[in-house]
Amino acid sequence: MRTFVQAFSLILFSTLFIFTTYKLPDWLPADMYLRLDPLIGLSAILAGKEVIGRTLWFLMIIGTTLVIGRFFCGYFCPMGVTIDLGHYLLWRRNKISVLKSAESFRKAKFFLLFIFLGAALAGVSLTYLMDPLPLLTRFYTFILYPLVITLINLSIDLLRPIFHALGWVGLSHLHYAQPVFYMALITFLIFAGIITLNRLAPRFWCRYLCPLGALLSFISPLGLWKRRVSKECNECLKCQRDCPMGAVEEDPRRTRLPECIQCQTCAHVCPQGAITFPASISSAKALAGEKYGPGGEYSPVDFSRRGFLYSVSGGLTVAFLADRTPFTPLKEKRQLIRPPGALPETNFLKVCIRCGECMKSCPTNTLQPCLWESGLPGLWTPRMDLRFAACEQECNVCGKVCPTQAIRSLPLEEKTHAKVGTAVLLKEMCLVWAQDKLCLICDEICPYNAIVFRTVEGYRRPFVIASRCNGCGFCEQKCPIHGESAIIVVPSGEIRLKEGSYVKEAKKLELEFKPDPGDDKFILEESGLKVEGDKKEGEKLLPQEKPKPSKPKGFL
Amino acid sequence: MKNFGRKITRRDFLKSAAAGAALTLVGKPVFSNAKDEYDLVVISGDPAPATRRALEAMGGISRFVKKGQRVVLKPNMSFPRPPESGCNTHPQVVATVAQACLEAGAQQVMVMDYTLSRPELCLERSGIRQACKPLKNVHVIGIEERKFFREIKIPQGKVLDHVEVLREVLESPVLISLPVTKSHSATGVSMGIKGLMGLIWDRKSFHDKYNINQALADLATVIKPQLTILDASRALVNGGPGGPGEVQKPNLIIAGVDPVAVDSYGVTVAPWYGQNFKGRQVEHLLVAHQRGLGKIDLDQLRIFKGKA
Repeated sequence: MRTFVQAFSLILFSTLFIFTTYKLPDWLPADMYLRLDPLIGLSAILAGKEVIGRTLWFLMIIGTTLVIGRFFCGYFCPMGVTIDLGHYLLWRRNKISVLKSAESFRKAKFFLLFIFLGAALAGVSLTYLMDPLPLLTRFYTFILYPLVITLINLSIDLLRPIFHALGWVGLSHLHYAQPVFYMALITFLIFAGIITLNRLAPRFWCRYLCPLGALLSFISPLGLWKRRVSKECNECLKCQRDCPMGAVEEDPRRTRLPECIQCQTCAHVCPQGAITFPASISSAKALAGEKYGPGGEYSPVDFSRRGFLYSVSGGLTVAFLADRTPFTPLKEKRQLIRPPGALPETNFLKVCIRCGECMKSCPTNTLQPCLWESGLPGLWTPRMDLRFAACEQECNVCGKVCPTQAIRSLPLEEKTHAKVGTAVLLKEMCLVWAQDKLCLICDEICPYNAIVFRTVEGYRRPFVIASRCNGCGFCEQKCPIHGESAIIVVPSGEIRLKEGSYVKEAKKLELEFKPDPGDDKFILEESGLKVEGDKKEGEKLLPQEKPKPSKPKGFL
Repeated sequence: MKNFGRKITRRDFLKSAAAGAALTLVGKPVFSNAKDEYDLVVISGDPAPATRRALEAMGGISRFVKKGQRVVLKPNMSFPRPPESGCNTHPQVVATVAQACLEAGAQQVMVMDYTLSRPELCLERSGIRQACKPLKNVHVIGIEERKFFREIKIPQGKVLDHVEVLREVLESPVLISLPVTKSHSATGVSMGIKGLMGLIWDRKSFHDKYNINQALADLATVIKPQLTILDASRALVNGGPGGPGEVQKPNLIIAGVDPVAVDSYGVTVAPWYGQNFKGRQVEHLLVAHQRGLGKIDLDQLRIFKGKA
């Protein structure tokens, strides 16, 4: 039964992950698991000092935990399932080597929990480092997803001659775009570390490290069902050996209730049938670890007030240090292009949980994780790598799948106006400006006619009209010169709103991201403009005198 | 594209290429047919019926497509924009031609283009995949991988001596070009000949390495569609090739076997960038004409005009 539920949960998690694409229907919460995660929700709310509606789904998990205990870890958590699966595949034959001496090490997870919450309180989000759901989603996005696509393409390549011979045209031309990500190796090493630790003890991660489990264990003893051991117990200690969480104490009648994940393995393995999980209304007694009748002796959460104070102040200190670097005052000035609809940088860093959903969903693969580009507080945050790929203009999926709305979910019209930066032409690199070549790719590809040609020194040369550029990056991506592009998108002019309409804001700034066919008439005009750095000047300097008729490029 | 069957030697290839070129020079179409009295067919009307009428006037698609053949249709579906934006071939034109190929007994019809944006987006938003969905054995395929291309030599090339062409085009006996009429900020207009760039791997070099007009003519010496059906139902008269720009509605379908003649007529259907031009004024068409790839002056063409 438990295996079944776990398998279902992992399949559900994977299915939602697969559905995280630009085709995502509006009604489907592909980020459901992340929304349900109480620790993410709590720390995002603490860090952002604002209630985030979408994360309040976590109240469902809190509520259910209050009723049925820490079922989340045993049945629902896809990381737990992965760990169990890894254990089954790799080490099921190994002798279980429970770390006897490590009981006091259990506290580690509580320390971690309060360090993270303390840091969140100080406005630095670090929970993503160890919360299992963002961790697993990152692993899926940066490693599993590219790997699976590679394997699929390899198998198609192998079978392609057969498809070809059979005349299966569709299949013989099938190829899935290969997603690639920075940070993949680092993400993998962390994940591999977590799995390997389970060699030391089953569910090592869940027992000793998982801060989400720590959070849940504070309330799980209130759940209705508790382990009870009857007089039949002959102290064979089988339950103690088999408990995946090590929740059975030296005296097998005693239970570490906060650690119990309701898997009932002990009840199944008990040769005497002495263990049951009867329902009983809990009270504060359970939390205090008091005796609950015969065979119901429970230990409380093993965490002292002193430990709490230490870890919270530790968290505050970490946050203080992480935030007191030149990165912080420079936040708004960094050369990072964030996805359209991203909150203002300071809020964005606080609220983003680095799950990688946006990067998975991005149809062009332009969204890439940061390493150190915005310091420690910016690890794994999404940025746009526009030389690599541009932002598809008819797509708004990254906001749709963001569980904490660090990227706002916007309708297409709004998203189009969420300007991420402005293209700047580097004239000394541009083939047309520097070498008089007949190149026009930036103009050809620009969806907004933000690039126009004007005659300068007897030759038609490209200009950027800043008020029409929303930073989509097609020009930067497609610029044919080798190396760095001759037209790059810089964050200057980006619009990042915590709330309110981007369309209105863009109107206020007199920006327009709309087709305006009138513009190409510049191709026909001898403008004779002097080249100036100030683009805004350039816009107003439309030639007033009658243009001498000449012919567009390509006509004789 | 018979010339590029797998078992053909270079000598065979050169011979037949030369023969083909010679025939074009002389001005006699490769296929002689009772209905072949016109160089161009120009039909006005809605895209689907006009396309059907144009095919009839050309003597029926069976003139070009034989039973059991594989056919490659090359529309322009390079941009993820809807039909009204004018930068892609109208889905109804593609579907109508595909249907006609099937009726003529084509074994398979492949609608292919090397798209500028992600293929799945282009196929979807251009409406072409949707329009071809009901047709069995018609496959709409967007390409973005080099493994689907194969290098060939360009014996008559002036600036290009080799090029990587979509393998399927080289291996299929029939290629029908289905361009749309639109403006282009480097070549003036983009129609059939410019559309050939959607069948090759390295088009970047056309912009940064070679003279694009010469390179296009070189390309036209080796990729020779048997039939060109130019979709002038809409003309993106500026802002091309990707738009957005002003879309006019000439409401015409132009068909012919001579790719230069078809394009040359296409130049006259709308004012480009606010001016009227003739085919001769479009550099890449003029170069192609001078290289003997087709007729450019409309007064020397026998044109059938009709309505659907």
